[in-house]
Formats: sequence, structure tokens, C-alpha cells
Amino acid sequence: MTVFRTYLKVLKSCIVTVIMYTIILMVFGAFNMQTSDTSTNFVSSKPDVLIINSDDNNKITNNLISYIENNSNIIDIEKTQEKIDDALFYRDVNYIIYIPKNYSKHFLEGKNPKIEIKSTGDYQASLAEMMLTRYIKVANVYKDVVDTEEDLINKINDTLSKETEVEVTSKLDTAGLSKASFYYNFASYSMLAGCVYVICLILSSFKSEKIKKRTVISSMNYRKYNRDLFLSNSLFAIVLCVFYVLLSFILLGDIMFSLNGIMYILNLFIFTICALSIAFLIGNLVNNKNAINGIVNVIALGSSFLCGAFVPAQFLPDTVLKIAHILPTYYYINNNDIILKLETLSIENIKPIVINMLIMLMFTIVFVVITNIISKKKSKIG
Amino acid sequence: MKNVIEVKNLTKEYKKLKAVDNLSFEVHEGEILGLLGPNGSGKTTTINCILSLLNFGSGSIEIFGKKMKPTAYDIKRDIGVVFQDVAVFEELTVYDNIDYFCGLYIKDKNTRKKYIDEAIYLVGLNEFKKFYPKQLSGGLLRRLNIACGVSHKPKIIFLDEPTVAVDPQSRNNILDGIKKLRDLGATIVYTTHYMEEVEILCDRVIILDKGKIIASGTNDELKELTKIEEKVSVEVIDLDDKYVRKIKEFDNVDEVTYKNHVLVISYKKGKNNLGELIEYLKKESIKYNNIFVERPTLNDVFLELTGKELRD
Amino acid sequence: MFIHNFKYALKTLLKNKMLIFWTFAFPIILGTFFKMAFSNIEKNEKLDIIDIAIVNNSEFKENETFKKSFEKLSDENDDERVFNTKYVTEDEARKLLENEEISGYLIFNDTPKVIVTSSGINETVLKYVTEEILQSEELVKNVIEHKIKEQVKNGTIEFNSFDVFIENLQKEALEMLKDDNVNIENVSNKNLSYTMIEYYTLIAMACLYGGILGMVVINQNLPNMSNNGKRVAISPTSKGKVILSSVLASYITQLFGLFLLFIYTIFVLKVDYGNNLLYVILLALVGSLSGLSLGVFIASVFKTNENLKTGIVISITMFGCFLSGMMGVTMKYIVDKNIPILNKLNPASMITDGLYSLYYYDTLDRYYFNVVSLLVFSLILIGISIISLRRQKYDSI
Repeated sequence: MTVFRTYLKVLKSCIVTVIMYTIILMVFGAFNMQTSDTSTNFVSSKPDVLIINSDDNNKITNNLISYIENNSNIIDIEKTQEKIDDALFYRDVNYIIYIPKNYSKHFLEGKNPKIEIKSTGDYQASLAEMMLTRYIKVANVYKDVVDTEEDLINKINDTLSKETEVEVTSKLDTAGLSKASFYYNFASYSMLAGCVYVICLILSSFKSEKIKKRTVISSMNYRKYNRDLFLSNSLFAIVLCVFYVLLSFILLGDIMFSLNGIMYILNLFIFTICALSIAFLIGNLVNNKNAINGIVNVIALGSSFLCGAFVPAQFLPDTVLKIAHILPTYYYINNNDIILKLETLSIENIKPIVINMLIMLMFTIVFVVITNIISKKKSKIG
Repeated sequence: MKNVIEVKNLTKEYKKLKAVDNLSFEVHEGEILGLLGPNGSGKTTTINCILSLLNFGSGSIEIFGKKMKPTAYDIKRDIGVVFQDVAVFEELTVYDNIDYFCGLYIKDKNTRKKYIDEAIYLVGLNEFKKFYPKQLSGGLLRRLNIACGVSHKPKIIFLDEPTVAVDPQSRNNILDGIKKLRDLGATIVYTTHYMEEVEILCDRVIILDKGKIIASGTNDELKELTKIEEKVSVEVIDLDDKYVRKIKEFDNVDEVTYKNHVLVISYKKGKNNLGELIEYLKKESIKYNNIFVERPTLNDVFLELTGKELRD
Repeated sequence: MFIHNFKYALKTLLKNKMLIFWTFAFPIILGTFFKMAFSNIEKNEKLDIIDIAIVNNSEFKENETFKKSFEKLSDENDDERVFNTKYVTEDEARKLLENEEISGYLIFNDTPKVIVTSSGINETVLKYVTEEILQSEELVKNVIEHKIKEQVKNGTIEFNSFDVFIENLQKEALEMLKDDNVNIENVSNKNLSYTMIEYYTLIAMACLYGGILGMVVINQNLPNMSNNGKRVAISPTSKGKVILSSVLASYITQLFGLFLLFIYTIFVLKVDYGNNLLYVILLALVGSLSGLSLGVFIASVFKTNENLKTGIVISITMFGCFLSGMMGVTMKYIVDKNIPILNKLNPASMITDGLYSLYYYDTLDRYYFNVVSLLVFSLILIGISIISLRRQKYDSI
């Protein structure tokens, strides 16, 4: 109990950092949860579009605008040049349409007036461009065959209102699940950083040469001492894990009460064990308190970036993902990605998840073995 | 004798505490002056005030007959300080550390090189020139600390407890070094709470307590302040009370106690006391084992003046 | 004296492994992580060729418009190819969809129907294209109807060559539907890669972390902060000279680290800083100055131990970088848009925004605004520091 009590006291001195990692997790978790769309019906992706209309208020122009408006998210920002350019750069809008002065007049006169656009060049922008192009094509064709403006507009709208039926086969709440996936992916960073930081710092205090000397000469069995230290550290890691799980229930809600939710939790638990072994390994390798901060940052940030905790793995270059295979975090993230698409519980579905978990446990065993070899070598003072 | 430092009515107060209280003293050229006092008696604060590191409430400080102030570079040139805490760069070697601090005083490179070598020789770090501070043991680190403070051959050297937590070998080396510096013509102000060091080293002693001077003078002068001149302790297994009462009536005896089989007799004057005592013990056939004779120490002086021990 | 102190200040800084790690190595390591994580993001956001399937039943085979349109959209030799289409049976299509080999499939029973697993961009494109073909069909139908009506009205219709006539009309209508007739001009700025902001915040971070160097040297020289400072204070050298040469040493160390970072980001990470390197250098100089002034300010004004001061510099830096988009580029935009004052006070954001404006904008107004803001920021902090540093004696040390 002495060890545990002292452990708690030392823990107090570095708990601020753990709180910081938790706050980061919450901020980014919540940050990513703004878009809440849980319907299982088909919803067309809508690009963010900004229309700058320099033409007068007239039917032709207004019809173009309302067509674009109905099929995209119109972004409302201050319409100064700089604000508009900033918005485009930061992808607040994907597509900007500048309707020139006298557009409708020139259009009706058959001059095929030029429309300037600005585009981010991504798929949303492509979608917006498809939309605009289609409208102009249709309008161009009908312009020659229709006599009145009214008729023209009706024809255009009639044609463009033709829709295709879409059937969605999956009944998964993908939006909710991808939020959960994001949260649990990010949690790997907080978990790893928190565990390694705290455990290294505490081990470096307990194992600093002078304190170690005192402990070795004390009447306490050194094995028992080490066991107590190990148990205290494990308890800390598990408490942190439980805390992150509880936090996910608060932030994500119902989605966690599902098969997928349970799998996320199980996966995090396995990862926690692995993180614990990493922390022990590093704690045994590094005794310099000043160096710990640097090492924690490099290891936690490195594995999170490489394995897709921050940026989804599907966006990572293949070479990076190949390198990531040597890190346990990769298998954790990979599991989260699989769980995201898990619909039913069957041996076939669970198999890849179990394999990844086993790989994480293998890593754990390897780390534990290395730690033991190192600490045996170090056990004698001097 | 010339005064190199004159402190008049120095007072320094922290928020509640009066650290230095109306202190006046001088330092004579060529002497080793000991500032003796328990922890918190104001020794370091006094030195920091003299060095113009601290603001002080009232009083005046003159060094070499000139007023001391932060920009008095001509005065500072001739002062060397060895601080209580080790003040060296972890990132620099022994040699580089001394070179850096010496370079703040001595511009000429060749002179500096010579001075550094002399300082290293003085503290006996010849073999450790290329070492980094963290590779040095506590005692060696202290010696480096001293070398950094005195390498520029100052005329006045302040040593603020340079031997705290130092092994005996390094301590002797340090004390010898200080004597050598004095012999080379430096004036030394030495603060400590080890009275033995003061007795070995110092020409003159000022005893401080609670920011005030409670006594000053040479070792012998101070010791005369006590009424006791000699203290004799005798180990006796069994002693009847009547003998104790009898001994009390001897000449010169100030006080007699008998506790834990030890008889302690304090004498006001220090002549022929021991012989008389032994004769008496023989006469009464009292069996005794050991006899110690002690001269009074500065601790006794301090004890008598303040009613408390120097080291708490 | 100046050079002597300068030399040793450099030496102590360069030998301090922790300092060098945080100011030199960490930004480079982080930059490498950024490169690994972000290099593909923007490529992935471009519309890729979408894998789809079409159920090859009789209804589809009979529908010429659809058949031709999808043939064209799936043509490997066409630059504007949208789909990679497989023609399969319904069962096969369903299996393909289940295995995620296709985004969706198209099946005809009277009307075309799109079947997908979930909502998404590829799925939307498939829906759009299908609709567009439907709409074109309708359009052509309407045009032909109209033309025939016109001809009937004018009495110029020739029934013997009716098939040819219809065919011509169809051709004519389809011709009108070509993209060439759409007069759209893209006037976007060339440099639109928003991940660059990540690297710019990295530069900002390096600039501000450099402040730790300034903080350390100031601490070394102040008697109320360190024992070494006491030694300096009692030596016959002017405080101003010692501090100035130390600060200069730390500034140069900082610039050297920044130089390495620039070399690394330009040649290894291929970061684009726009066209005019001179402006970038000016910004780097001013940015480092702001970091330096932050370090000097914290060193001279706060009276705590060095670790805590380092903590303060790191926290300010990381929070500043967070606001300027290091942990998500959108953050900078959100702050710029909603609380612009926050980023106008934030040196990390000024540096990031300065680099951004050089990269994205053709005009220099915004760049100069940032440079001047950084200078003002630095001067204010240095001014306050000087007032505090002018003290020669202390009330307590």
C-alpha cells in the first residue's frame, strides 16, 4: 500500500498533462461532431457554393440562382474580395459563381455570356460544376426553341426536375458511427501520450538512482515492490481507459449502445494494454525526466500521424501505411475502420478484428519481454 | 591598518523580516574576516548588499573608500565572490567555465590564460580541465565554484559558506587555498556556521545573530567574553552527591554537574585545576576512567551570548 | 567583452540538448509527420474515377442513350472519364456492392434505379449522371417535338425522309448538349493547397519556440533568476552589453535553426512558399524576433523557475499554433472569420497568415500588415522587458 499511496502522490504532480490530453481529445471529438445527419435515406452530397450576382433581379438569372441554391449549400459570408478568397482557400466554399452584369439580357440575345467561377478543384467543386454546366446546357438548348421567358423557365425547370430513384441498402448509422470511429481513433493519441507520459515520469521518480538504492536496502521485498508499482501503473491505465469510454458515452450517446460500440470499447481496452507495455518499455529505457516530454511527443504524435489517428487511413499514402504496419496503433485504427462497417456479428465478420487484436497482444508480449531483458541488465546499481 | 570595506548602519528589511539590522563594521586590508552566525542570521544578505545586488533600506557601503553601486566597475574589477550555491554552466567544461567568468573581468587573452591555469592549480583541478560539471563530485564542484570566483585575482574575496556539504579532503584543500590567497595579498570575507573553520582560518571574527552584531574581535578576544576558561569532564561510574557538593567549593569552579556517569566541571580560570582535581579523586579513592580537558569554543561564546547553540 | 560573452552564450545554447531538440529537431520531426499524413489528402479530394456496375438486362440494352452515354463516360481514352463500368447480372452487381468493389449500380426496370450502400459523394455523382442522361433524353424529345411542330406549322415537313430528319434533329440537339457550348471560365488563384497552412504553422511554431533560447540566456544573466546571473552582476561589465550580446547569440541560434527548417521543408517536404523568397526571409526574421521578444519578456517579467517559464512559452506557442490552424486548418479560418482580433494579437497566426498571403495573394497589403503587426508585438514586449531589465538592484534575490 505504501507504494500505491506514494504512486498517487507522484501522479498528482503530472496529472495536469493527462487532463490536457483529455481536453484535446474532447475538443477534437466535439469539433468533428457538428455535422449530425443520421438518416438512412439517400442524401445527395451538396457542395458549398457562393453566388456573386452582378446582374439585375430578373427571372432568368433568378432561376439559375434558385436551381443552384436548391442543389447546394449556399454559403453566406461578407462579400469582399479578400473574405471570398479566404473562404475558397479554407474550403468554406468549394465553388464560387460570378454572374456577370446583363447576364440574362445577353443570354436571351444568344450571346452565350461568360460566367466566371472559382473552384477548389475537389470533388465537391466538380459536383458544383456538373450542376452549373448542366443548367447552362439545358438553358442554351431551350432558348432557341421557346418563345417566352416564362415558357423557357418552365421548360428548364421541368427537365431539370427529373430525378433518379435511389435505393440505399445499408441500414448502418454511418454518420454516427464515423463520429465514434473518429473519437476512438483520436483516443489512441490521448491514451498513448497520457500513459507513456505518466508512467515514464513516475517510473523515473521511483527508479531514480538514489530512491532505488533506498528501496533496495529497505526491508520490503523488491519483487513485491515492483509488482505493486506494476499494478499501480496498470490501474492508472485502466482508469484512464474507462474514463475515455465514459466520455465517449457522453459525447456520442446512443450509438455506443450497439454491437459496434462494444467492439470499439473492447478494441480500446486491448490497445490500452499495449500502450501500457510501451510505457513500461520506454520508462525502463529512459531515466532522464527532461527527455521524457520529447520522447512522448515524438512517439505519440508519430504513431498517430502514421497510422491514421488524425487523418483517416484511407487518405494516407501507401508507403506511409506500409511503414505503419510496424506500429501497434495501426492495428488499433484498422480495427476501428473495420468496426465502422460491421453490421452483423458473425465469425467471418469478427475474424479480421480478432486477428488485429491478437497482433496488438503480440506487440505487448514483445515489449514486455524486451522490458524484462533491459531491467534485468539494469537491476544492479553501478 | 587600512579599511578596504566600510559598512555603516546597514539595514535591510524583507516584508516582515528584518534581515540586517543597523549593521556597522569594517574589513581591514589583508585580513581574513569571519562572519559567523547560524542559518538565517543575515550573513548572505549582508554580502549581497555589499555587492550591490540588493536594495537596502538605509546605511552606506564604501569599498576602497568609494561608494559601492552597480555600475562601479573599477571597484567590481577587484572583487571576487564565491557563492554559497554552485554557479556554473552545465554545458561548459571546467576550463570553459573559468574562462567565461574570468573573461568578464580580464580582456587580454594571454593574461586570462595564465590566470585560469593558476586558478585551476590553486584549487587542484588540473586533471579535470576537460570535464563537465555533472561529471565532478560534490567536492570538486565546489572547488570549481571557487576557481570561477577568484580566477581574476581580486583584491577582496567574499566566500559564502564554500565548504557546506564538502568532504574533508576537499575542505582542507579549500581552506589551504583560502590561506594561500590571503598570503598572496587578498583580503577575505568568509561566512560560515562552522566555528572550527573560523578558529583555524580567521584573523578576526564577527558574530551575527538576527541581523545584528553580537560580538566581534579576534578568536582570543571573543573567548575572553565567556566566564569559563576551562572545562573538565571525568567519567566516573558512581559518585556520591556529597563529593559533587565538595568539588563545587574548589577554587575557580563555576559549575559542576553529574549526569550519566559524567562529571563536568567548568572553571572560571584555567590554571592548575586538573592536578588539584586528580589529587582529590585519588584521595577519596574515587575510580575514574577518562578525563577530557576542553578550552571554550566560539560555540560556547555564542551559547552564552544568545542562549542557543550555533548550529540548530 | 561583447564577443567573449557572445561566444560563450552560443556555446551554452548549442550544447543544451533539450533546447536544441525542441527548437531545431522537433519542428523538423513534426513537419515530417505532416508530410506523411497530409501529402495525399488533397489528391484524395479530387474526383476519382468511380467504380460502378450496370445490370445488363434487356431494358438497358434497348436504351441507346444510356448505353452510349455510359460508354462515353467510361471510355478509357477520354480525359474526362468519370466511371469504370462493369456490365453484369443483378446478382453479380449486388455481390460487387457488398464487397465494396463498386460505389453503386444501375438497374433498369422501366426507369433507371441507382442502388448504393450509403450516401456519399461517389453515389451522388452516379445519381447526378443518371439524372442528367434522363434529362437529356427529355430535352431531346422536347426539342424534336418542338421542331416537328414548327415544321408542321410551316408545312415544310417531308415525310418520305422523316427518319433522316429525326436523326438530324437528334444529332443537332446532342451537339447543343456538348460541354464546349458552356461558357465558363475558371479564374481561381493558382495556389490553393490548404495543407500548406500546416507547414506555415510549423514555421510559426519554430519561430516562437526559439523564444525559449532567448529566455534561457536572459535567465543566465539575471541575478534574481540564477546563480550564474549573480556572478555576471558582480563583474565589472555593463549589464546592457552582456544581455545584448547574449540575446543576439540566441537570435542567431534561432535563425540558424529556422534556416535548417526552411531548407528541409523546401527541399525535402516540397513546401511552397510562393515566389518571392526575400519576403519570406523578411517574415522569418520578424517572426523570430517576435518569438525572441516573447522569450525575453517571460524571462524578465515573471519570477519563477526556468521549467515553469519554458512551460509558459510552450503553452503560449502551442495555443497560438492551435488557433492558427496547426491541429486543423479550419481553426484558423473560424477564428479569422468570427474573432479576428484574437488572431491579430496572436504572433503564431501573424506568421502563418503572412506566409499564407505570400502564397495565395498577389498583392502584398496583407503581408505587410502581418509584418508590421509582428514588429509592433515585438517592440511592445521588448519595451516592457527593458523596463524590467534596467533594474540593477533587487529587493530580493
